[in-house]
This record gives sequence, structure tokens and C-alpha cells, in this order.
Amino acid sequence: MKGVLATDRRGMRELGAEEMVGWDEVTQGVVLPSFDQAIGNAAFLKPEERPYSDFSSYTATVASWRVIRPVYNRDICIDCQNCWVWCPDASIISRDKQMLGIDYDHCKGCGVCVEVCPTNPKSLLMFAETETIEEALAKWPEKKKKEK
Amino acid sequence: MIEIRWHSRAGQGAVTGAKGLGNVVARTGKEVQAFALYGSAKRGAAMRAYNRIDDDPIINHEKYMNPDYVLVIDPALAFTDNITEHEKDSTKYIITSHMDKSELIAQIPALQDKKDRVFVVDCIGISMDTIGRAIPNTPMLGALMKISGMFELDFFLDSMKRVLAKFPQKIIDANMEAITRAYNEVK
Amino acid sequence: MAEKMELNEIEVWDGNQAAAQALRQAQVDVVAAYPITPSTPIVEGYGAFVANGYIDGEFVMVESEHAAMSGCVGAAAAGGRVATATSSQGFMLMIEVLYQASGMRLPIVLNVVNRAIASPLNVRGDHGDMYAGRDSGWIQLDAFNAQEAYDMNLCAFKISEDINVRLPVMVHQDGFTTSHTAQNVRPLSDDEAYAFIGDYKPVDEMLDFSKAVTYGAQTEEDWHFEHKAKQHRALMDSYVVIDRVFEEFEKKTGRKYRRLESYMMDDAEVAIVALGATVETCILAAKELREQEGLKAGVVAPRSIRPFPFNEIREVLANVKAVAALDHSVSMGAMGMLYNEIAGAMLSAQERPLLTNFIYGLGGRDFAVDEAKRIFREQKGHADVGYITTEIQQFSGLRGPKLGFYEMKRS
Repeated sequence: MKGVLATDRRGMRELGAEEMVGWDEVTQGVVLPSFDQAIGNAAFLKPEERPYSDFSSYTATVASWRVIRPVYNRDICIDCQNCWVWCPDASIISRDKQMLGIDYDHCKGCGVCVEVCPTNPKSLLMFAETETIEEALAKWPEKKKKEK
Repeated sequence: MIEIRWHSRAGQGAVTGAKGLGNVVARTGKEVQAFALYGSAKRGAAMRAYNRIDDDPIINHEKYMNPDYVLVIDPALAFTDNITEHEKDSTKYIITSHMDKSELIAQIPALQDKKDRVFVVDCIGISMDTIGRAIPNTPMLGALMKISGMFELDFFLDSMKRVLAKFPQKIIDANMEAITRAYNEVK
Repeated sequence: MAEKMELNEIEVWDGNQAAAQALRQAQVDVVAAYPITPSTPIVEGYGAFVANGYIDGEFVMVESEHAAMSGCVGAAAAGGRVATATSSQGFMLMIEVLYQASGMRLPIVLNVVNRAIASPLNVRGDHGDMYAGRDSGWIQLDAFNAQEAYDMNLCAFKISEDINVRLPVMVHQDGFTTSHTAQNVRPLSDDEAYAFIGDYKPVDEMLDFSKAVTYGAQTEEDWHFEHKAKQHRALMDSYVVIDRVFEEFEKKTGRKYRRLESYMMDDAEVAIVALGATVETCILAAKELREQEGLKAGVVAPRSIRPFPFNEIREVLANVKAVAALDHSVSMGAMGMLYNEIAGAMLSAQERPLLTNFIYGLGGRDFAVDEAKRIFREQKGHADVGYITTEIQQFSGLRGPKLGFYEMKRS
């Protein structure tokens, strides 16, 4: 997971966390550059490889909105990509069709990923924000038997 | 300033006629204006078109006009429309009709006292004979040339050919014939 | 390559044809339009020019004027030269997107063929739509005849796309009175016209994939005010470029335009301030009054409605005794827009004229030379006695009992 998230640059644009410039310095037409430098191949780069600017929401976090969060269990996951397809905030991190984890800087805790997870038991479950990943994994339920 | 008012029905070509006249006149170095007054009109509704012609740029945009010439290209409008509205002592009338002049004037009280200023030509008949459709605008221009002496017939025909250049040759020829006949037949 | 068109030195065009020809000569890349009377022939003309090979461009048919302006915003943000046309109800439906276009600083040229606004429904010309657009952040240029509709369009692209402006521009002309009145128009050749406007220079274009950008960001109380202030400043400052473009246009054509036009104002004792084709009718009235009655009448007309020529108004009306502001639209519940703008400017002037307001010509009602003369004479009456002898707001050409509002306060 390390290096996949741009965590070290996050938080810059949270309200009040930066220097607020005056009318003479704001960008013309509220046009905001996504990257710090010109790149010709953004579509072929993984997000963590792109030089996102502070104006991009990629470098901002909305983690504080969340009270419960999905926890991911690698041992059960079948890499079906359902959660990646359905996540409304592009917060499922998947590379080469392999599920890596959750972008907790952008995940708002809606639970859609858990809802669409097809495994038994589910590979994604919602836990309180206060619980650690380890605690959550320790509580993972057993496979449910089909009821007759 | 020469001012002209056309009485027409929407679809008979008064706007095209007024613009065509404007086009020809502009080629002689004069300033022109051509516009029309109609509501959200259907084909067949009575409408009026206007021309102003002057040596100086025309900056008068009022719709009100004391016309020098009144051109009536629909026979019925001579009876139903107020063709003498805002007239001057010198206003000349050119009216489309299959009737001869005395017969027509006898039926329109407003024209009784201005027999010398009324001219009649059968633009509908001429356009049916030549163009094959009831489009009385070009023959009316031929009649106007004769009555006003604005331009020689040959010069006018030549200029109209250029205005109509986008049409097929057959239609241009038919229009030339229509203009010539009206020029010769207006009385 | 688009085909060139051979034009005569003098063409007889109405305002719509003149505007369509200007769009062709500007080689507009995209027109997204939902045609409406009386502006229809402009976009229809553009479409025909594209279909016949005279423009390398795209005519986008949409399902409403809101969509038309949205299409224009998208195409302009993508990095193309963009224009469209509308009137009246269509303009009203566009309004939400007009603010988007100006807020995003997109150079779009919108031909507004002015028409009255329902209800009651009316297709003819007044300035209801023009007035509804006056806070939208667009530069608003006004053409008084067909020639000027052509000229203002050429200037509009050059002003709008200037790197120091980058604001959308409306070119106004009066519905029917200008749009459907054919007059002598002296166009530039295709090459001259295009050379005058110049190639489109994209800024922050979305089709530059090396430089991804976001358009239409959300800002709350932390940023919104600064962005709006910057935009207002750009519009206020755009006069510098407008003046320069008008100067370049004069060098090319001999036709001189100013943000505030004035006629016979050097020694004028009374004046009319107006917009649209009415300006020319008033000039004719002033000329005749000077010749026939020795009345020193003059006419003042904002060519640029936005940015409003505040300083120029103060200068030109400095020594005038009585002024009538003619509003071709009624600003419901208040004095007319022109009256208010002029009053605002003159309040900080050393000498103030007696200022009255006439609402005239709603729904296309004729405004005659004789009526302009009557208004001039009435101003002379105010000037002679030194106060406004009538109500301050009056109505010209209205049937029924005399309607008027407010009288001058005199001690």
C-alpha cells in the first residue's frame, strides 16, 4: 500500500489549511490545473505516478466525513472487481485487476462496496472508524451455511 | 429620398421584390433600405414591404412612411387594404389587375380623385404566362421602372440578371420576359 | 480548406445576413444553436455555409437554448472559436449558462437579435432580452444598423479572444428593424476580414491533453468572492482592448466606432441617449431640428453597454442642460436602465443635466422621427425654465390615459 496513496501531500487544500490568495491571484475563469507540470500520457499512468497539483481533489482528503469504514480481507477476496466498479468515489485501489485495498483519504464510508461483494463471508465489511484494521480482521465472521 | 410601399400577401414575393429592387439600386451607388411589416404571418396574410432610396446613407428607421410609390401586387388588396394611407399629392399607384384602368378606378372610391396617378398592369397574368406561377413581384418591378423612369429597361434587366444569378437559367429568362412585358404593358 | 466567397464592394444585406457573413469570415469552428425568430437566419446562414463548403466548422443542433449555450461553453472550453445567436425567450432560457460562460472566461460571440419578452408573446423588437443580460458578465456591443451588425461581429471575436480579455461578447441588433431590414453593407474581403480577427489563440483548452484542467469548479465563501471580483475587474478593464480593436478597425475600414457614440454633441443644449436603430432615427430628428428650428440637439448612444462608459457619459453630458434617456424596455417597478445608469454617472459630475426617462417602442411599436423631435423640444422646455416640467418617467407612443411617474423635487 505504501506509495500507492499520495498521503504525504494530502490535507493541503482542506478549508483553512493553506494560504488564501486575493482576487488578483486566483486563476482566470476558475480554471484549475490538474497537474503541476505538462504531461502527455496521463491516461497511461497510474494515479500515484501522476504529478497531481494541489488543485486536484486527488491531493485532498475527505476522510473526516466518515464514521464507519470498509475493511478489506485479502484472504477471502476473489478479485472480481465488483467493488471497484461500484464505488462512487473511485476509492477501491486495484492494479492489474488485483484488489489492493481502500483509499481511506477519499472513501466516505457509504458501504456500497460491502453491499456488492459476492463472497461468503464478504471480503469487505463495515467497522467503526475507531476500530483498528487488526481488530476488525480478528472479528471476521465464518462462512454462512445455506439455509434450507 | 424616394419611398416605396408594397401591398402584398405573404408568399407573393414582396420582400424578395423589395430586396431585389434594393440590390439593383445599390449597384448604381445609391443607398437603399428594404424591410417588411408582418405579424407572425401565414402565407396569404396581407402584409406590407417598404423601400427607401437616397443618395445619403439612410438613417431613418421609423416604419411610418409617406410613399412616393404604392405598389399593389395582389389584385384583391386594392379593394380591401387601405392603399392610399399616408399618401402625398404626388403619390403614384401601380396596381395589379386584370381589369383595365377605368374599370378598376370606377370600383375603388379612394382612387377617384387621382386618376392621373394610378397605373394598372396584370402582374399575376404576366407571371402565370412567363414564370408559370403567380409571383407578381418581378413584373411589378418592370412596371415601376416604366412609371418612375428610375432606370432604362436594359440596364435594369442586366442588373436583375445578376441579382437572380443563383437561379437556373430558365427561371432567369422567364423573369426577364416578365419584367419586359410589364414594362411595356403598364398603363 | 473552406471555399472563399466573392463579395461585392456593396452588398444589400439585412442585419442577420450581415452577422452570418461575419461568422463565415471568422471561420467559426462551432455553432451550437436552437434557432428562434428573429435571429434564425444567422445560425441558418452559418449552417448553410458549412453545408456548402464555405466554413470548416460544425453546426450542432440541440434541444433548447440552454443546451445551445452549454454546447458553446463546452466547445469554447475545448479550445474552439465559437458563436451562436438567439432572441427573447431563447435568450431567457440561456441566461443560466451565460453566467457560466463569463465566469469561466470563455470567448464566445452571441448575436442577440433583440426581441420583446412574453407574456404577452411578441416576436418584434424591444430591448427586454438585452436588459436581462446586463449583469451576466458579458461584454455587450450594440449595432444600430446592418453594417454595424457586420462590423461589431468582426470586432467581437477580436475583443473576446484577446488574451487580456477572454470574456464572451454579445452583439446586439434590433429585431426586424435591423435584422430584417436590408441596407447597403460594405464588407471586407474574406482574407481581409480573417486577417483582422486573426487565428484563434487557445487558453487552458481542454483538448490539450498534456495539460489537464478542471472547468466549472465549486467555490464557497472562501473563494467565490475573489473569483467574481477578478471577473468584474476583467470586464471593467476590457475597455482598453475594445478601444484598441475599434482603432484597428478604423484603420482597416475607415469606419470609426467608440464605446460611447455621440452625434452633434459639441454645442448641444439638449440630448437624447438611446440604443439600437432608434439612435439613427434620433440623429435624423436632431439634424432636422437644428436646420429647421435652430434647436441645438444632440444624440448620445452607448456602443458598449457593458462595460458601461461611465466616464465618457460624464464628459459628453457635462454641458448639456436637459437629457432624455430613451429605454426600449421597461424595467418593471423602477426607472429605465439607461436612465439609472446615466443618473448614476452624472451624480458624481460637477454639472448635472435635467434628466428624464421615456419608455418607448415595447413589442416593436414604431418610434417616429416626429416623436423624437417632440421629445427634443420637451427637453428644451425643461432647459428654458430650469426644472423638469413633466413627470420624470413618461411613455412614448402608449395608448390610453397619460402614464407617468415621479416629479422633480423643488424647494
